[in-house]
Amino acid sequence: MPKQSPVPDALDKPYFDALNEDRLVIQNWTCCQRLQHPPAATCGGCGSNQLQHMSWKQVSGNGTIYSYGVVYDSPIAVLQADQPYNVALIELEEDPGVKMLSHLPGRAVDDVPIGAKVKVIFETTPATGQKVPEWQVVS
Amino acid sequence: MPQTPMPPMSMFRTAVHPGLWEHKGKVAAVGVGHEGTARRWDGTAENCIGAWSIAACRKAIADAGVNPADVDGIVLDTSTTTGAHWPAGREIPMDVVQKFNQTDDPLDGIAQLSGEWMVKNMPELTNVKYIMTGPGCMSACIVVAAQAIGDGLAHTCLVLKSWHNLDGRYYQGGANAEPTISGNAKWTNPWAGPASLGTATQFQRYMYKYGKSHDMMAPFMQNSRHNGLMFPEGYWAQHRPEELPAEDYINARWVAKPANLFDNDIPIMASAAYLFTTAERARDMKQKPVYILNHARDNLVARGFGGFPTLEECEEACANVGVRLHEGAGIKPDDLSFENMYDGFSLFHVFHLEGLRTHGIGLGDALDAFQGDISISSPFPISPSGGNIGSGRTRFWKHTDCIQQIQGRAGARQISVPANIGVSGGPMPTGGNFTVWGSSPD
Amino acid sequence: MYTERTRGLIWPRTPLHADAGSHSEGFTLELPGGKFLISFDIDGTLELGDPPGRITTEMVQRARDLGFLIGSCSDRSATSQRAIWERMNIEADFIALKHMLDDVKTRFDVHRYLHIGDRDLDQMFAEQAGFDFLWEHEAYTEPWLDWLEGNGAVPASEQ
Repeated sequence: MPKQSPVPDALDKPYFDALNEDRLVIQNWTCCQRLQHPPAATCGGCGSNQLQHMSWKQVSGNGTIYSYGVVYDSPIAVLQADQPYNVALIELEEDPGVKMLSHLPGRAVDDVPIGAKVKVIFETTPATGQKVPEWQVVS
Repeated sequence: MPQTPMPPMSMFRTAVHPGLWEHKGKVAAVGVGHEGTARRWDGTAENCIGAWSIAACRKAIADAGVNPADVDGIVLDTSTTTGAHWPAGREIPMDVVQKFNQTDDPLDGIAQLSGEWMVKNMPELTNVKYIMTGPGCMSACIVVAAQAIGDGLAHTCLVLKSWHNLDGRYYQGGANAEPTISGNAKWTNPWAGPASLGTATQFQRYMYKYGKSHDMMAPFMQNSRHNGLMFPEGYWAQHRPEELPAEDYINARWVAKPANLFDNDIPIMASAAYLFTTAERARDMKQKPVYILNHARDNLVARGFGGFPTLEECEEACANVGVRLHEGAGIKPDDLSFENMYDGFSLFHVFHLEGLRTHGIGLGDALDAFQGDISISSPFPISPSGGNIGSGRTRFWKHTDCIQQIQGRAGARQISVPANIGVSGGPMPTGGNFTVWGSSPD
Repeated sequence: MYTERTRGLIWPRTPLHADAGSHSEGFTLELPGGKFLISFDIDGTLELGDPPGRITTEMVQRARDLGFLIGSCSDRSATSQRAIWERMNIEADFIALKHMLDDVKTRFDVHRYLHIGDRDLDQMFAEQAGFDFLWEHEAYTEPWLDWLEGNGAVPASEQ
């Protein structure tokens, strides 16, 4: 499903570079042993901004559907042609507190099993070719 | 826009157990003024948001019976929209601008509002010394004004919130119409949708967790519209006096399922002002004082995306607020006579209500409670104001209603039980501001 | 409680066809060039909407008098739409929610369908349902009257 292409900045470039190599990495603040997504300049646990405490951790790409909604009236132009569409919140296997969004490609509209296992795939966005993570239900 | 100062975070009570509010019962609301409503701005000077703000303030002053020269403070939200921003390149109507005393920003009084603009255009306010922003919402303005009066920074304070609305739809165009996306939106825009989607995911999880259905919201929606139609200043009462039968609500199109069109409060133009003063001065004023017993806020930072706190994060934030409100006011949860918690999006109300842990309504209970009597005649009226659902998106009906219920001036909305203690606030479960109002300072 | 979402046209609830006479009894639509249906959005389109649009009650009445099937398709609730038709003192052939234009098309078998509205959402639902679409500012000159002449006028949105 065509999406806006996210434009990386200095902070999150490692994340987006990894996606382009079909790898999912998550910002990891070692000061609190805390995975953090979206990435930020400070640790959400202790507020540290010391770069020696920050790294990028490759994760398994396994997750679970936490919840979802079905969008019928989106203000985002590029998504409007595909309405209605699912938007699921995926929690990562390594840390359920880390959530990612997904259109659940291959899944019928509003047929979203909360609690089901999902696996990451990497989808190319049309404007720049930047890849983004998507998730598919594991049958 | 001219800078209106931002309040220090120390004015907000965010501690887990903040103790009894040091100014409990020492600050009172004594005047209410409303102006509007309209669905959208008609382009005229007399109906611009600046003109309505002046009118609302003058009504609040008159309602309280104070001399304008006695007003020494104004707390207002300088932002007058959440989505109807002035389009880039659109010509500013200078004929409207020139009808008022201008600041250095011609949109002041049209699509935003500074404290400087208000003082410049209300010459009768000759002694204003304290001007402060209540960021984002009347709920924040109330907290800042109450704390300021309690702290002795002002003694007679206008509390103002206004909303403009323009033609077109919220959030269309701009970055949302581009093929690429930068900034924080890069984490949501490639997948997401309307503003209510985050709330929809929370409510979806709620239904899953507690075994409930969206249709169970219908009695609440009916009740809210019904109560709103008894709010003479409200949008629906003024422009489209229609009840909202359950079938109409349930048949409405989805915006972000499970949030439908009516779960998304209708954007309107309106202005409201209150007059706050010290309990001591309030004794000699025209209206019965409504005492502020406490205010509270929760600063829970969601781990997820800005618009997507999880249900559990919402529940935690709302529970924290409930505990702080009760403890700081020195009341028990069941001492509340009624509640006017936030409802735009309507689904929020479930989380806010359950956070209060009042009248037997705990986690997972709100929708069941909605199936019983929640009307103004019930033992514990739910949203007697009708809120945003009953009168349009302003986030202030609930506060006005708390004041008027306790004063006994709610008219057709007056609840049957004695209105001794009420609670109002919002908007979001995380980061909102909430107030306990009482008929007695004790 | 309501456990099932009752999708569909609000009114009528049974399929109707233009030549079945949904107008006054015995009326049969035989317009030059075919049978036509016009769906009006309300707010920003009809003069009784909020905000008011430029389509007057007189224009709607004229369309009906000339044999067009007429109705409303709006985000207003059914209760609210009925109230508008009562205020106009015009009998509508259908009332539908905005996202139900496709249902209108299913239930009325005519030669041409037109929806008139003031928002991109009106245009989107009209196009999805296979309706012609006119913006309110294009429609207040009543271009559908040209259809009666069989001159094949094409809505501006199609040009």
